Formats: sequence, C-alpha cells, structure tokens
Amino acid sequence: MAFNYDQYLRLEKMPTLWCWGCGDGVILKAFVRAIEKMGVKQDDVCVVSGIGCSGRFSSYVDFNTVHTTHGRTVAFATGIKMMHPDKIVVCVAGDGDALAIGGNHTIHGARRNIDMTLIIINNFIYGLTNSQTSPTTPQGMWTVTQKVGNIDPTFDACALGIASGASFVARESMLDPKKLEKIFVKAMEHRGFSFLDILSNCHINLGRKNKMVSAMDNLNWIDSITMPVKKYNELPEEEKLNYFPTGILKEDTNVREYCDMYQDIIDAHQGKRANITQDDFEKKI
Amino acid sequence: MITSGMIEFTGAPVWINKNTCKACDICVSVCPSGVLGMRYDSTSTLGAMISVDNPDACIGCNDCELNCPDFAIYVASKEDLASVGKKFAKLTDDAKERQVKIIANNYMSLDLQGVK
Amino acid sequence: MADTREVISSGNHLAALASADAGCRFMGGYPITPSSEVIEQMSDLLPKRGGSCIQMEDEIAAVAAAIGAGMAGHRTLTATSGPGISLKAENLGLAQMCEVPLVVVNVMRGGPSTGLPTRVSQGDVRQAKNPSHGDYRSITLCAGNLSECYTEVVRAFNLADRFMQPVFVLLDETIGHMHGKAIIPTAEAVKAGIVPRKQFDGAPEDYHPYECEHDQPAVLNKMFTGYRYHFTGLHHDKNGFPTEEIETCRKLIQRLEDKVMLHTDELELNEEFMLDDMTGEEGEVLIIAYGSVSLAAKESIRHLRAAGIKAGLFRPLTLWPSPEKAIKKYTDMIKNVLCVELNIRQYTEEVERVSSRLDIQGLFKVNGRPISPHEIVSKVKEVF
Repeated sequence: MAFNYDQYLRLEKMPTLWCWGCGDGVILKAFVRAIEKMGVKQDDVCVVSGIGCSGRFSSYVDFNTVHTTHGRTVAFATGIKMMHPDKIVVCVAGDGDALAIGGNHTIHGARRNIDMTLIIINNFIYGLTNSQTSPTTPQGMWTVTQKVGNIDPTFDACALGIASGASFVARESMLDPKKLEKIFVKAMEHRGFSFLDILSNCHINLGRKNKMVSAMDNLNWIDSITMPVKKYNELPEEEKLNYFPTGILKEDTNVREYCDMYQDIIDAHQGKRANITQDDFEKKI
Repeated sequence: MITSGMIEFTGAPVWINKNTCKACDICVSVCPSGVLGMRYDSTSTLGAMISVDNPDACIGCNDCELNCPDFAIYVASKEDLASVGKKFAKLTDDAKERQVKIIANNYMSLDLQGVK
Repeated sequence: MADTREVISSGNHLAALASADAGCRFMGGYPITPSSEVIEQMSDLLPKRGGSCIQMEDEIAAVAAAIGAGMAGHRTLTATSGPGISLKAENLGLAQMCEVPLVVVNVMRGGPSTGLPTRVSQGDVRQAKNPSHGDYRSITLCAGNLSECYTEVVRAFNLADRFMQPVFVLLDETIGHMHGKAIIPTAEAVKAGIVPRKQFDGAPEDYHPYECEHDQPAVLNKMFTGYRYHFTGLHHDKNGFPTEEIETCRKLIQRLEDKVMLHTDELELNEEFMLDDMTGEEGEVLIIAYGSVSLAAKESIRHLRAAGIKAGLFRPLTLWPSPEKAIKKYTDMIKNVLCVELNIRQYTEEVERVSSRLDIQGLFKVNGRPISPHEIVSKVKEVF
C-alpha cells in the first residue's frame, strides 16, 4: 500500500499554512516517515518547536507537541527530557530561532549532549516576518533590513554544533527526502545530542529579490551550494568557501549522554555509588 | 467537506489530492518520466493545479510524493498495482525527453504550450 | 505538636526543603544573589529523591526547562531574584498562556537593573504582578518569617496545581539569608496535604484540555500518557491548537482572568496582628506591611502600644491578587494608615486603589537596608 501519513498528522489542521513549495512540508513528511520506520509509538514522542514558520511544525504532527517561545526550544525540551529520559524528544527550530535568539540554548544543549534531536530548518532568512536578515543569510544577498545587500558574516551551523560538543552532527537539504528520512532515523536513534542543519527553501522571502522567485529556482540554488562531505573534503581550500558539505559530519558514540550522567548524580546521592571524580572522565580539562 | 486525508488507491499508479495541492511545481520538476504537468485552475491557490497526464509512464520512483510538501500526491506500491493487474513502466528515452520539454514549458502540461 | 518539627535553617534553605517535601521533581536554576542557596540546596535534595536539578545556561533556559518539566506533568521550581525575573518574563507569559503550573521563588534584592545584589529590597512587588505582557492574573505569595519560607512555598505548589499557572513566592534578602529556628510542618503532613493537579481519565478522543468552565483552569494531563494535545503561546482552541476565532480568543483570555479573580477566597491569606481590639476610634494606627518588614512592624507596634498609641498590623501573605475586602474593611475603619515598604509606593498604590483613599501615609526605604522598628515608631509619631 502507498504510505499512509494520516495516522501521524493532525489532518484537521491541514493544509499547512506554509507557502506553496515550502521545504518545511517536505521535512515534515520525511520526519513522519522516519518515525514510522523506527516503529515507535506516537505517545512516546515529543516534538518541541519555537517561533517562526518552523514553529508550526509541531501543530501538524500527532505527537505530544509543544510550541514554545522564540529560540527556547532546546531549553524547554531539556526539562521534558530530564523527566523522561526514555522518550524521544525532537526540537524543530528555524535558523533565526536556533542560531540567533536561541543560540545560547543550542550551544549548551549540544555541550551537555542531552539525548534529543535538533532539526534546524535553515532557509537563510526570516520568513514569517517577511525577509529580514538571518544569521545564515549569505553576504551580499538582499533582505528587507539590508536593502543594499547583507554585510553580516554568515553562520556555519554545523561548525557550531561540532564545536559545542554535539555528538551527532549532520547536514542535509530538503532536495533529497530519502536521505532526509535516513538522517532523521539515525539522529533519533543516536543517544546524545543530534544536531541537524537541514537546508530548506524560502523562495517567497529569500527568493523574491535574490533571483529565486519559484521554489524550483531556490532549490536549484541550494543544490549549487551543497556537496557530499566526501567530495567536499577533496576540494581545494579556496573552493570550500562556496559549499556546504552534506552528510554526517560528526558521529561519536563514546561520549556519555546527559541523562545517563545525571543518573550517576542520583546514584551518588542515594549512596549507590561513590562521588563523581575526575577519574571518571577520560578528558580532564 | 474538504479533507486533507489520504485518498485511497483507486487503480492509478499516481494520484492527487486537490484539496491540499498548492501548485508549487515541485512534483513536476522531480518526475524523471514526464508523468505530471500543471494546468490552469481558477479555483486553486496559485491558479493552477497538478495533473497526471501520462500515468502509464510512471516508474514508481516515489520522488513526486516524497518531495511534495503538502501531502497532495501519492504513488501506489508495487503490490497495489499488481492487485489491479498493472505494473510500473520502465524509464524510456521518450519519457525523459518529454520531461525535459515539460520543464522547458515552465512545468505546464505539454498541450498548454507557451502559455505561462 | 505531632504535625510540626523544629529546624535551624535559613529562608532559602527552607524554601528548597519545602519544594522537595511538596513533591517538586525538577528545578531549572541559574545562580543569582541572593537566591543561589535555593538551587544549591535543591541540587542535593532532588537527586536524593530521584528528581533532577539542573543549572541551566541562563535565567531564560532555567525557567524554560522548569516549564518543560511542568508541561510533562511534574511539580517544578525555579528560583531567582529580580534581574532573573526580568529575563524569565517572556517564558512566564507562556506558562500563563499554556496554563502550566510552576513555582517561582524570587528572593528580592535592590533594583532596578543590577541594583544592590547583596542587599534587601521589596522592589519586585509590582513586577510580580505583571512580569510579562498581556492579560492574566499573577498569584504572588510573600513570606514574612522563616517558617513561612517553608509553608508559603508548600502553599504555592498546591495553588499552582489548583490554578494551573505560575505562582510566585517572594522572599527578600533579609529573610532568605536569615538563619535561625523555625517551626515547620512535618514532611508527612505536607505530603498528606498535597492536592495534585486534575487529570482527565476518559477516552483520549473526549479529552479537550482547554475546554473547561468559564472560571476554571485547563486540565492538562501528563505527557506521554496517551493524551496527545498541543501547547502554544498563541491563542488556542479547546485542544490547544492555534486559532484566531473571535469568540474562542475572548473566552480564553477572560477565563485566564476569571479563574483567579472569581476564586480569590481560595488564595487569600492574611495576618491580623493586634487588630482585634481596634474599634475605629480616634488615634488608632493601622500599619500595612508584608515580608521581612512585618517583623520590624510588629516590634514597632509593641513599642507604640507601650507608649500609649493603639497600633496594629495588617499583613497580606497573598499579595496578588490583593485581599481587597480585608484592606477595605480596615482602611474604612481606621483613619491613620501607614504602609511600610522597602520600595517606593509599590503596594501602597494598591492600598490606595482598594481603599479609595489618598491620605495613606507611607514609609519607604530604598537604600538596601532593612527597616528598623525605631524608624516605624518615629514615622508614626511624626505623621499622625
């Protein structure tokens, strides 16, 4: 039978309020397929979103869902996860959400390596508020807050994820939903903080003055700036500047997860183990 | 009543939910086999609606469905098709050529040459 | 008494102990003077009882994580001081809108801004009333002695679950850092008094968390129990989904108001100290004070009475919503009214509003030092 998405959707809320051709829907669909593939119960999944177009993600999927304040997704999810370490907690945030206003929470969620999946839907613009510069807007592109061209240096989200200590870091684009589904499964099955930079389109607000007025134009541009990481690594340094590597950029299964480590604290307080010392950690500084 | 839910398999290899399609052209663009095209529809969001012009050329790759942001297009499974005595087509040169033409025609169905 | 115990402790430590005894399972915190001892204590108490206490990356994350745990269905705490509340304000608004129970302990210090971090103030009283934008009613309790640092926090947890919203407990630097003997209820007595939040136990398809009587809070089932619904800070419908439908929006905000304001009797708690012999005759003095100031006020009343001035104290333990009837009763009866606060007129204005009197005298101190009984005595003698 053809794949039936209905079970996972809140059909009465649909069609989505996203614009025609918006990558958010493709990402949502791949996410639903990933959940089906994992065979987990809908009751055991919590989806937390922030503010922006991506914030509506949580209201369309039939899980335990939370639409929080701007940028605070990971912080809210931390409270939920700490109380329910055995459940699947997924954060969905936009580029402005996760990298600008919520940058601090993104950094520290990754640093703690708490078991959750952060899906950053990165469309290079503030879409819901109509074309303001985001941390990932390429320099030189037009935005309504920089009408003569954006001078703000751009953010490499995955570099931030790696530097912050996320134990699983990957980038994909909504151009390849099959890969997207696979990466979602991998990320959710990974025990630790999974940091996903998912490139998406906003032909409406990024595209309108940047020569990408249709979804397809915008997607072609994303295609032109992405490259599988293996191929990317073979590029000379100066050419790397113009590409984002896609695929799994970091996967470390040896780093301990935060809820697991917190269990040590509980055990120590309850006299089930000795106090935690530096000897418990390989890394001393 | 408008429903966003899945429309069940009716015997076609690929089918559409017009209630949720927003006419973004993505499915047309990703089809390798020239199955799909856009048609004018004054009742639709962008004044256009997807149309399955060459269902028999569908190779069952599922790309249109996976790339649809709005749960508006479905592709049958092999088993579905077999149950009505049909099989997915093989990708032919004719089909590829047709797809190139559709894209060149701004994703519009080929009988609407040059209208967009 | 069998139901009480005697402890030697500090206000902040008692607030932490009360939280743990009241069934708090999670705390998200961030260090800030003068409240840091609360999280220090909770970081021991919670894991000992199988809960979690995390020091988050900032004040915003601290309250967000606490609200997250509250959304998941657990009793949850955050503690901070005024600057922390300023940062948490946005998420406190979300908790009001989503109707997530939470206890916020605010150990007040001098403000505005960084102010006087190590010194006492009651400058956050007005802030506690409306920390975030929009219409909702704050529930704010205020502890006036060591024992109340315990009992008010326990009361706050029960009220949070009853009214499904954040409840503030205001301590101040003096009382938070005060160390001494306190008589508090036993943990068993507290446990026996816990009224957990309402849960719906019918079929999931019949469950509408925000569909409730016009004056009742939402019924939010625990997460991961088969009742899937939606939390959002947007105006929402009966299942929590965003809506702009005119009547639904109006009803929601009116309900946030009415669920508190039509049930103030469940919230009100006052102390009436040496007021029972007041008759309204000439020369009587009513002092209105709360928090640590009330300790000085009581001492001053003993001095005043010894000097032949008939004075008494009215002390609200629930500051917001204010005890309108009681304030009105005493301000109608007694002509000489003095409000004593470690801020400028923050609660005096409420007394003025409720009493419709503009001749309320005030003693306001904002230099970070506590008020002494002597200052109150002098003020009474000066103005009346």
